[in-house]
Amino acid sequence: MRIQVKRTGGFAGVERAAAVETSGRADAQEWHALAERAVADSRGTPPIGVPDGFSYQITVDGKTVYCSDPRLTEEQRKLISQVLKEGA
Amino acid sequence: MTANPDPHPGPVAPVFCTIVPPHVLDTLARHEDPALAGPARRTLERDAFERTHRRLTTVIGAPSPAPPEGAPADEPPRTIYDARHRTDLPGRRVRGEGDKPGKDATVNRAYAGLGATFDLFLKAYARNSINAEGLPLNATVHYGEDYNNAFWNGEQMVFGDGDGEIFLDFTIPVDVIGHELAHGVTQYTANLAYFGQSGALNESVSDVFGSLIKQYTLGQTAAEADWLIGAGLLAERVTGEALRSMKAPGTAYDDDVLGKDPQPATMDDYVRTGRDNGGVHINSGIPNHAFYLVATALGGYAWERAGQIWYDVLTGGELQPDALFPDFATLTVAAARARFGEGDELEAVQKAWEQVGVRTL
Repeated sequence: MRIQVKRTGGFAGVERAAAVETSGRADAQEWHALAERAVADSRGTPPIGVPDGFSYQITVDGKTVYCSDPRLTEEQRKLISQVLKEGA
Repeated sequence: MTANPDPHPGPVAPVFCTIVPPHVLDTLARHEDPALAGPARRTLERDAFERTHRRLTTVIGAPSPAPPEGAPADEPPRTIYDARHRTDLPGRRVRGEGDKPGKDATVNRAYAGLGATFDLFLKAYARNSINAEGLPLNATVHYGEDYNNAFWNGEQMVFGDGDGEIFLDFTIPVDVIGHELAHGVTQYTANLAYFGQSGALNESVSDVFGSLIKQYTLGQTAAEADWLIGAGLLAERVTGEALRSMKAPGTAYDDDVLGKDPQPATMDDYVRTGRDNGGVHINSGIPNHAFYLVATALGGYAWERAGQIWYDVLTGGELQPDALFPDFATLTVAAARARFGEGDELEAVQKAWEQVGVRTL
């Protein structure tokens, strides 16, 4: 499973993007479970966020969903920060 | 950082224009397949919540407590909260109005920055706080972990600590604090929609008043000011002096990791994009530069004449939520004439918009 996260907006307006390929990873099952929950809570279209808030685009195996700060679920927040931290 | 291609191109269409029609969601929510019904139902619930919440916040004001009875109108009713690196808002209350400074420099900076912003609006424009009715000013610091952002959530300001690699503490530049608070003023006045050109105007108004608050605090004239947004926010290893420059949009930073400042100064370089709510932090460079040109042409303290004209437009009741650059520009011409007559102010405003390529009627 390929999980991509792209962050746009924010006070600085600087974009960040990263992706994690879970195949072959020992913790693949945990990634899959987290990604499924995060995607289930996201929207198919980008919500209009709050002024200067980050907007996120999560793509899992080609399917893209959206969410934005500060209204993220725990799973969305965890997935986003893990992918941006560990992803390439 | 932007190495990955955009998997959602949509070249011109702003991202927000493609919201699923409610009737489609209604149908989906009743679908027998829970995989379809579940997300649709949740979207409807969240949409309803956010729409109601936003409407209430805009129409009747943020649900903050009323100012305490007998509180003097010339004191900012400030409260600072500490999220302690979590994301629950507002967090733990750590400093209220009149409390002595504590050991946390971030809390003290936020408190001082809120005070400086309150002061400018009160003394320069006779405005009592964000809503003109003494609305309490609330801010949360230490939001999230290594959080590289600050924002206005419709009710309060929120500041991250930065990751120390690219960004430092977002309470360091007083113009960033002023910028977030000015989003509150915009919400209670023209309520410019946060996408496309009206969103870029919303951003620009926040940069204008953020910069004016810094100039007011330092006692600087237009000629002395640096006209930078976020000076002191970039970590040492980043090549750049700030996040945005109103004097020379597009020149604030040029860095290996951060990329290059993408702001245009004139309509010739206007950026069409669906990202960042339709480039609200990018095209704001154009009205930002127009303000800089007016302020420096007039000289003296920028909040007195240039700032007054912009404030008159923001609060005058004629600026529509979906205003475009020419709408805003035209209103500044009318405001300059109404307040100062046929003179230097009017000429400076007309010339500035001409120079950035925005037509006025």
